[in-house]
Amino acid sequence: MAETIHHIPFWYLPLLVILPIAALWAGVAGLRKAARRKTAPNRDPDWSVPPLADEKQGRSFLHKWDVRCKIVTIVVFSFVVASLGHLAAALAAVALSLSVAVMIKVPAARLMLRLLALAGFLGMLLVVMPFTVPAHPGDTLVMFGGVEWLTLNFRGLLLAATIAARAVAIAMLMEPLLSTAPLPVTLHGLCRLGVPEMAAQMVLLSNRYVHVFSHEARRMSAGMQLRGFRKRTDTATLRTVANFLGMLFVRSFERTERVFDAMRARGYQGRFPEPVKLRLRASDLLICLAWLAAAAALMVWDRIIL
Amino acid sequence: MHISDGVLPVSVSLGGYAVSAALAAWSARRTTSDQLPKVAVVTSAFFVASLVHIPLGPTSAHLLLPGLAGALLGPVAFVAIGLGLLLQCLLFQFGGLTALGANALMMGLPAIACGWLFQALKGNTHLRHAAAGAAAGAMGTAMAAIFLAGLLAAGGEDFFGVAKIAMAAHVPVIFIEGAVSALTIGFLFRVKPELLEKGLVTSKKEFHG
Repeated sequence: MAETIHHIPFWYLPLLVILPIAALWAGVAGLRKAARRKTAPNRDPDWSVPPLADEKQGRSFLHKWDVRCKIVTIVVFSFVVASLGHLAAALAAVALSLSVAVMIKVPAARLMLRLLALAGFLGMLLVVMPFTVPAHPGDTLVMFGGVEWLTLNFRGLLLAATIAARAVAIAMLMEPLLSTAPLPVTLHGLCRLGVPEMAAQMVLLSNRYVHVFSHEARRMSAGMQLRGFRKRTDTATLRTVANFLGMLFVRSFERTERVFDAMRARGYQGRFPEPVKLRLRASDLLICLAWLAAAAALMVWDRIIL
Repeated sequence: MHISDGVLPVSVSLGGYAVSAALAAWSARRTTSDQLPKVAVVTSAFFVASLVHIPLGPTSAHLLLPGLAGALLGPVAFVAIGLGLLLQCLLFQFGGLTALGANALMMGLPAIACGWLFQALKGNTHLRHAAAGAAAGAMGTAMAAIFLAGLLAAGGEDFFGVAKIAMAAHVPVIFIEGAVSALTIGFLFRVKPELLEKGLVTSKKEFHG
């Protein structure tokens, strides 16, 4: 079976390709702006408090679920989703992730921010892949005005859409995974699953200091703006940014010494106290089993039926 | 640019996890375990630095900094980069849970290589430090771009076109990164040269006795 080629006039190109891309791009940019405005830094009370745990969000089944079961289930499910080969199965996974997110009432803005962060990479795939995928027998091609190198391959579009659906399905599960327990508890669960304790401590520490240093960076850049610095495409900007980075590093390296001394002075001996005692109940395993059964069903549908 | 979830074949992402876990263990062993909290704090500084955008004509590029991380941290840079990517996955909306291992390899291996390169090239003068910084910065980004293309191409010939374009998109970033690294290293050479000695964390062992 040879590939099917549809010839259409060249002026369809703006209509069918450039216009949708521009609309998508504008939409993403607008949403990103709106989301930024909602989480504007000066309206935030204090970023140094980890924003991952929101106690006010009510106690859904995911909040009560044993953290070890939650991690194992969501990681296994993510890998199953990443292995799905058909668009329909991947879309089903998106629906499942979305329903979980809705069930635990994840704020829409947070979910939107996660998806917008993906938009750049997935947008590139969606634009590039239809035009670069090699033509196989049985493919449907659209040729614009007989220009040889500008051939849209529907298989590429399908492939990129499948990838995008898989990425969205996994990214949407990050909020349920992380925002339903405080970060120390999630990390404690990871340690009980065999992750070295030191790794978890490093995550906690650097999570704290990311916020400290971004405060510092914001203060420094406010000072630079006050002295008349504006970013441009020139070597002066590069030099200024390099000095800015250098200063940030100098201050942070000096701070590590002070932080470490302070920790030692408070009796730090290589470990933090346990945040919670974990207890496994039958209901935890039941939810785990149900979710993994859904994953298995998706896989069977993807591999055998579709 | 980081690879998002759902792009790589599952075998590649699992392999990436296995190799980067082994490398992280090796990298962590290069420093004493009570120094690791310091690495964590330094990682946050690199994380914040990588959010800085540099204008590039009508658009802007953000720094990747694998070269600079390697030059300043030495082999422990691999741990720092893995940690940074994990933080990004947790806090800054980018999913990447399944691609974490592959992304860590893509950024971490260049960092280790650039650390070696920097230590080998830097002499005693300001100029040679800056030149070594430029080499490390440019090499780090170039290697990361090549790794990115290789990982994408692992998905089969359908991904070759994407891999090529992703690599081409990194070319301007290579130049910016080289220039910024050279200038940053030059700044540090003047202001706090002991940071450039041999990876900060191992060099200060005697400080705490």
